[in-house]
Parts: sequence; structure tokens; C-alpha cells
Amino acid sequence: MSEKSYKVLFLCRMFLGLVFLYSGFTKLMEPIENFQGGMASYEIIPYAVIPLLARVIPWIEFLFGAFLIVGYLPRISALVLAAMSWSFVLLIITTRLVTGALPADCGCFGEGSLIHLQPYQVLIMDVGNTFFGICLLLRKNHPFSLASFLKAKS
Amino acid sequence: MKINLRSMLAGILLVLFLAGIVFFIKRNKPTPVSPQPSVVGASGLPTALKVKGSATAPVKIVEYSDFECPSCRAVQADLQGFFKNYPGKIQLTFRHYPLTSHKWSIYAHQAAECMSSQGKFWPYQDKVYEKQPDWANSNVPPIEILAGYAQELGADMDRFGKCMADVAVAREIYAEKEEGNKLQVSATPTFFLGQERFVGPKEMQERGENAIRKVLGLPPKPVVVKKEAPAAPVFQAGIPKQKDV
Repeated sequence: MSEKSYKVLFLCRMFLGLVFLYSGFTKLMEPIENFQGGMASYEIIPYAVIPLLARVIPWIEFLFGAFLIVGYLPRISALVLAAMSWSFVLLIITTRLVTGALPADCGCFGEGSLIHLQPYQVLIMDVGNTFFGICLLLRKNHPFSLASFLKAKS
Repeated sequence: MKINLRSMLAGILLVLFLAGIVFFIKRNKPTPVSPQPSVVGASGLPTALKVKGSATAPVKIVEYSDFECPSCRAVQADLQGFFKNYPGKIQLTFRHYPLTSHKWSIYAHQAAECMSSQGKFWPYQDKVYEKQPDWANSNVPPIEILAGYAQELGADMDRFGKCMADVAVAREIYAEKEEGNKLQVSATPTFFLGQERFVGPKEMQERGENAIRKVLGLPPKPVVVKKEAPAAPVFQAGIPKQKDV
């Protein structure tokens, strides 16, 4: 794939990166209990692991989102974000199947954020994000990235 | 994939830079304090009418809630359980937090505020939660349904009608929500017990009750290993979750 045809993939990279960067950032700015409560509303997550997940997930989202935008370790970042997107897809589907219902709000961004998504909207977005992540993972070279800059320098 | 020294160094610098941004912004953000009781509402009456329990109760809980939110409905059973298990020890203050995603919520909040000015907030909130599936799924603004509940509870309907048309009441509700936003409330129900916050029914069940017991000088609630039969629901219809997703 040439640099010209990378344009679409570049937009996907930016979109995926920005979604996770924003999602992680808003969670990091808010009290941890807000995200804990959001996760607890998906009743299939064992409560014992929620406090740990609530502390780790926002950082992973924020850092790997930023990595993907600047193009640092783009393939690893794409893999991590695709795996996270897919895990959210599985979480939503499993919650629906096991409990027969879903929380009214996905718990992804919070009331104070600019984005309000219901779980089924997040489901669609996460399926798309998984696809974008896999496409980015399969691509060996990523132009307009810190990785290609560092490679050219060495 | 080869990661050379230059790349590793760039990564470390990038992580430090990003973490620095987060910590810097967080540090300079005003720290939310525990909610302060406001004295007078839009209706000119003290907000004490939205307070349940003794003023001398050692456990003071502030609840930010949305009447159309299924989790807020679900948590009512736990709250009633607290009042039953710790009699005279708990005071609960209700604060409006109508969520943007719930289109009829503001009508219910306004109706509850109007009932508050007639000293009937608590029975009305119970009614609104109990009948939540009926009015929340209405295709038109559920003003008549909500007025019907008020009538059932013996409200002065002239006053209620005037109050429902009063923009100042809606303003007061949003002012309460804004207070919540300042406290970084972003989901409902959010509870404050002093500096501690609990978001959602599960958090209130898992951590909230132990926080109450701590204030009361009681040991943490023992973990029940044996599965017990669920307690009788507060509402006859049980507590349904949102099924429309």
C-alpha cells in the first residue's frame, strides 16, 4: 500500500486513537468511583476486580490512544486497542445474554462529556474499531508516524 | 518487531510527557468537596423538605438521582434497607440530577419539586420510581400521568399546576444538577457520605453499607457465602432493568 492509499488507514488510525485518548482522558480526570460504578453496572464483571480495572483501563486507553495518534509502536498500539474494543463488544453481548438487559448508559464517557452513547451505539463503534485496529495491525509500515521517523533516523 | 534504544527512549519520554499532562491538569483542577446543604429552593421553601431522617443522625448521605434511571429505581430497596437496619442513624438528602439522555426525566423532577413545596416529596418520589416504566415509556410528555400521581397523593392541584409551569422551578433543578457537576457527578445514582462517593447500586451495596457501618463504629458486614433468597422487592412489580436497548 502506497503512502497515497494510506490516507484512509491514516484516518482510521486517528479516529481509533482519538476515541481511546478521549475516553481514557475523561476517565482519568474524573473520580475513580465514577468508572467503578459504570463497570459495576455491567453485572457480569466480578466486583473484586473492578477497583483494579478502574485504575488500569483509563491509562491503557489514554497511553495507547496517544501512541497510535503519534505513531509510536503503531502495530502494538493497534493490537491493544483492537483487543480492548473486541473485549467491550464481548462484554456488551455477554451482559445482554446473561442478564437480559444492558445499562442505560455505556459508562464510557460520563454525563459531563461531549459524547453520550448507549451500549448498542458503543457496540457498533467497537466492532468498527476492532476492524480498524486489525487493518492497522496487518500493515507493516505506517507513514506519518514516529515509528517511521525513528526508523529513517537509524 | 525490533525496538532499539532510540525507540525505547522515545517511548519513555512520550509516557512521561503524557502522564505529566494528566497529573498537571488533575492537580490544577479544583478538588471537589463534599456537597453542602443549600438552604432555600426555587419554591422558597427550605430544601430540608427533600431530607429524610433525623438531623442528628451520624450518617449523612447525599443522593444525586434521576427519576428515569433504572439503577436509581433499583437502589431504593437498599436505601430503605439502610433506614430499616440502622434506625435513627441515617439522614438522606435528595438532589436532582436529570440525565441528558432521559427525555422525560425533567418533567418528573419538576413534579417532584412541586410536590416538595407541598411537603409531599418522599411519597411522590416513591410513586415516581414505582411507576417508572409507565411514565418513562410514554410517547408524549407524561405531564398528565405525573399530575395523576400527585392527585392520588392528595396534592393541591391548582398549586401543582402553577408550579409545573414555573420556569424558576426547572432552573432550580438544573442548579442542583450543576452543583452535582461541580462535584464531578457524571452518572446516577451517585451518593456522598462525607468525602466518600459511591456510584451505582452495586457500589452502594458493596462499599456503601460498610462505609455506613464504619461511621457507626460497627465491624464490616460479614460476607455471606451461602446464597440467600432475595429480599422482597420494594415495588410489587419488582425492579425491571432497561429492556429497550
